[in-house]
Amino acid sequence: MPYHQFKCSECIPERLEHAVDKGAGEELTDALPLGYLNTIPGTISERGCAYCGAKHVIGTPMKDVIHISHGPVGCTYDTWQTKRYISDNGCFQLKYTFASDMKEANIVFGAEKMLKKNIVEAFKAFPNIKRMTVYQTCASALIGDDINAIAEEVMEEMPDVKIFVCNSPGFAGPSQSGGHHKINLAWLSQMVGTVEPEIYSKYVINYVGEYNIQGDQEIMKDYIQRMGIQILSTFTGNSRFDDLCGMHRAQLNVLECARSAEYICDELRVRYGIPRMDIDGFGFEALSDSLLKIAYFFGIEERARAIIDEETARWKPELDWYAARLQGIKVCIWPGGSKLWHWAHSIHKEMGLEVVSVYTKFGHQGDMEKGISRCEEGALAIDDPNELETLEAMYTLKPDIIFTGKRPGEVAKKIRVPYLNAHAYHNGPYKGYEGWVRFARDIYNAVYSPMHKLAFIDISKDEIPTGKGFETQRMYSDVKISDEVKNDTALRQCTSKYDPIPALREKTYTFPDPKTGEWKVVSNEKFRKNSGVA
Amino acid sequence: MSCELKSKDRAGVINPIFTCQPAGAQFVSIGVKDCIGIVHGGQGCVMFVRLIFSQHFKESFELASSSLHEDAAVFGALHRVEQGVDVLLMRYPHVKVVPIITTCSTEIIGDDIDGVILKLNNGLLKEKYADREVHLISIHTPSFVGSMISGYDIAVKDFVSHFAQKEGMVNGKINVITGWVNPGDVTEVKSLLKEMQVEATVLFEIETFDSPMMPDGNHISHGETTIDDLRSTGNAIGTIALNRYEGGKAALYLEKEFDIPAIIGPTPIGIRNTDTFLQNIKKMTGKPIPESLVRKRGIAVDAITDLTHMFLAGKKVAIYGSPDLVIGLAQFCLDMEMLPVLLLLGDDNTSYASDPRIRELKENVEFNMEIITNADFWELETRIKNDGLELDLILGHSKGRFIPIDYNIPMVRVGFPVYDRAGHYRYPVVGYAGATWLAEQMANTLFTDMEYKHNKEWVLGVW
Repeated sequence: MPYHQFKCSECIPERLEHAVDKGAGEELTDALPLGYLNTIPGTISERGCAYCGAKHVIGTPMKDVIHISHGPVGCTYDTWQTKRYISDNGCFQLKYTFASDMKEANIVFGAEKMLKKNIVEAFKAFPNIKRMTVYQTCASALIGDDINAIAEEVMEEMPDVKIFVCNSPGFAGPSQSGGHHKINLAWLSQMVGTVEPEIYSKYVINYVGEYNIQGDQEIMKDYIQRMGIQILSTFTGNSRFDDLCGMHRAQLNVLECARSAEYICDELRVRYGIPRMDIDGFGFEALSDSLLKIAYFFGIEERARAIIDEETARWKPELDWYAARLQGIKVCIWPGGSKLWHWAHSIHKEMGLEVVSVYTKFGHQGDMEKGISRCEEGALAIDDPNELETLEAMYTLKPDIIFTGKRPGEVAKKIRVPYLNAHAYHNGPYKGYEGWVRFARDIYNAVYSPMHKLAFIDISKDEIPTGKGFETQRMYSDVKISDEVKNDTALRQCTSKYDPIPALREKTYTFPDPKTGEWKVVSNEKFRKNSGVA
Repeated sequence: MSCELKSKDRAGVINPIFTCQPAGAQFVSIGVKDCIGIVHGGQGCVMFVRLIFSQHFKESFELASSSLHEDAAVFGALHRVEQGVDVLLMRYPHVKVVPIITTCSTEIIGDDIDGVILKLNNGLLKEKYADREVHLISIHTPSFVGSMISGYDIAVKDFVSHFAQKEGMVNGKINVITGWVNPGDVTEVKSLLKEMQVEATVLFEIETFDSPMMPDGNHISHGETTIDDLRSTGNAIGTIALNRYEGGKAALYLEKEFDIPAIIGPTPIGIRNTDTFLQNIKKMTGKPIPESLVRKRGIAVDAITDLTHMFLAGKKVAIYGSPDLVIGLAQFCLDMEMLPVLLLLGDDNTSYASDPRIRELKENVEFNMEIITNADFWELETRIKNDGLELDLILGHSKGRFIPIDYNIPMVRVGFPVYDRAGHYRYPVVGYAGATWLAEQMANTLFTDMEYKHNKEWVLGVW
């Protein structure tokens, strides 16, 4: 597995060890790109900062919380409304963001008093919200404001409120990953154990590293609750502040995004003896294995199997319709931290795509290890990619589609490679059986878009067919498949609704009573616990 | 009944209308050809600003970071600027201009970017890039001062003052500084100038922000203002800055430094302000306003007349966003018989009180009108939610989108950023074309709302 020398990076030799080609028959240990090191300035890297890793990625998905950033207004403004972590309480966390709006005088004389005034005003503006997170930024860290002390003061004066403080300024680490780490540990040490949760099932888990992007958490929650398992908290998508204060009472931590949330799982194991179980909500097989794993832990595998069978029967014919048409499609999986390994093998095995490259902006070597082991031979793996390298990679690899962020997606578009949003999704959720079919459908629609094909035509040079009024996706995708598959009536296209989530919110579930084991209906309200957000 | 100008009285911000200064400097930077800015600060200060540009324009723009990490925050980070400049120049051989844009963190730690630029000019650039034209420009935009608006103003001035030269004869052109606008606005301004047969240096040439998908691939969106354009601003016969707060500083600089007469504002939004703009060009160049523009204006007045007293008169409007845009829109709304009852300006610029346009509003408005400075979106929402403010229409950018959604108020997206409507950057709000587009957007938005709410929707059958 030799290092990959980008032509555009020959002049910065320290970049060499950040990219590798996965060679034939080679072991992972032969070479692994460096990861999670300081960024080389001026490379036009795609990395964000540790503040956004803490506040924007992990803190803000909590749904009944005033999220306030202590600093100049830009950090708050810039990160606001750039994600799709929804919630079942009307998305308070998406709609409202708070900043202490630090000005020059505050920099000179300190901003603690002003922060306190801010906190009180924010609670006053939203009298139904009693929980708050305060995030440090570069500016407040450098002037040395003691945010924790201010939070304590306010909590003494306002006994019905609770405030969590996260000290993770933008410069704290090579990327957003530094912020993930900091907020994980801060939450554990400040908040976990401060609330005794109500337990209504024999089986109790925390669902960790899941942010409810377009409803991912809610689709997964449906399966887990159908097994009779109580989700005490989700760290942090669609979760209440207080639920996350009771994480210590779970029997098991089920971990989805290990990159952003393994720290809190590992500490919960150390401090409270709660085992960590890594699962995977993407892909039929990975998801089925994950549900079974959780079920084995509690000895309820028959319940998992029933769900797996039902869901597979419902959605597999739709997945297979797309899989038949996506064979050999070349993809670059270029997400943020961990989706390279969540997707690489499943997308190949279940949809037939060829993974020609993986990258990670803020992943560590462990993510690369998993990603490289799960992708195809010959694939190019890049750590902390930058603009020129990704362009060079796209020119040489000629992928048919790229899964990446919104802005890099615009770069890809210009060289006529369609993209799907790997962070916020196009038409998600992508987790769950239904979500995976939605993903396949979005890939199909992107790859076989007639508009995309038109982008390759040069009207000044090419012969233009004049007898065609339109083309359809099927006219491209079905050329290369057999009549047998084409006419297979067992297969069908995606039937998932535009938004499958509202229906899930109306469902009721039964759980085995923790004492008697008797299965009882638990009211929807109980596990949803909407806060009275106006 | 009066117009009142006051500042928000809360300390903090609930849903900000503006972002901070470095974003403004970055917007200027992407308008200049062969230029990639380095933002000296944390990576988020660039990453998210690039994201918001791409949300608005559906394009990607190039900006680099000095990637401040923990050690740099403690020991200073000038070496990262040095390395950043070198890496950028090595890998982007076409780059000639590199603004170094500061942020809150690097201003607080006190990095001397002017000093490091001097060092690079005398060292790296002489030794390694001797055959290459490279300009390093320091732009101080601490995030805790002003806003994206002042950041833009400062950066335009810094670019102009770096390059502008007076060489020999006057070049016969005027400088037109557009302010923070869209490609559609630049197209409209240039079309008006063309009709007037006036040659102009337009700062900044950003029509190319709306860039094509070409058969040969790879077309990176970038502004087209060249170093020569910037140099020649010192040789112009005059400068017109369309916006007082976004480009006014540069116009004043040119006036002071090179005796180039400056006319600052009014922002040519609406018929009347466009008339003034043309009058100002006429005054500056001696060129007459041609018949073709009389006709163009007539088409706009005709279209708007169809809408005003029938549909727009008496409609209560709240407007938020960039000060010049908000004031211009309010003036235009008044000409269309509407009632702009609430204007929200997102920063604490104390000079708003002495803006002649605001003074004019204060002297002449005969209904209750509030102008809030240092405003956030809560100033708007709490008036609707808690104080019974009734609005027929909201004008502003996408960050405020949840208020119209949650309170069922029709809204026309205007300003920056607009990411929840398609293609808005392609349409002007300035000039006669902009006036027509705005009036028709407002009307059509009200019409759709009438239909969704079954509110006299049958009226539309016969107008």
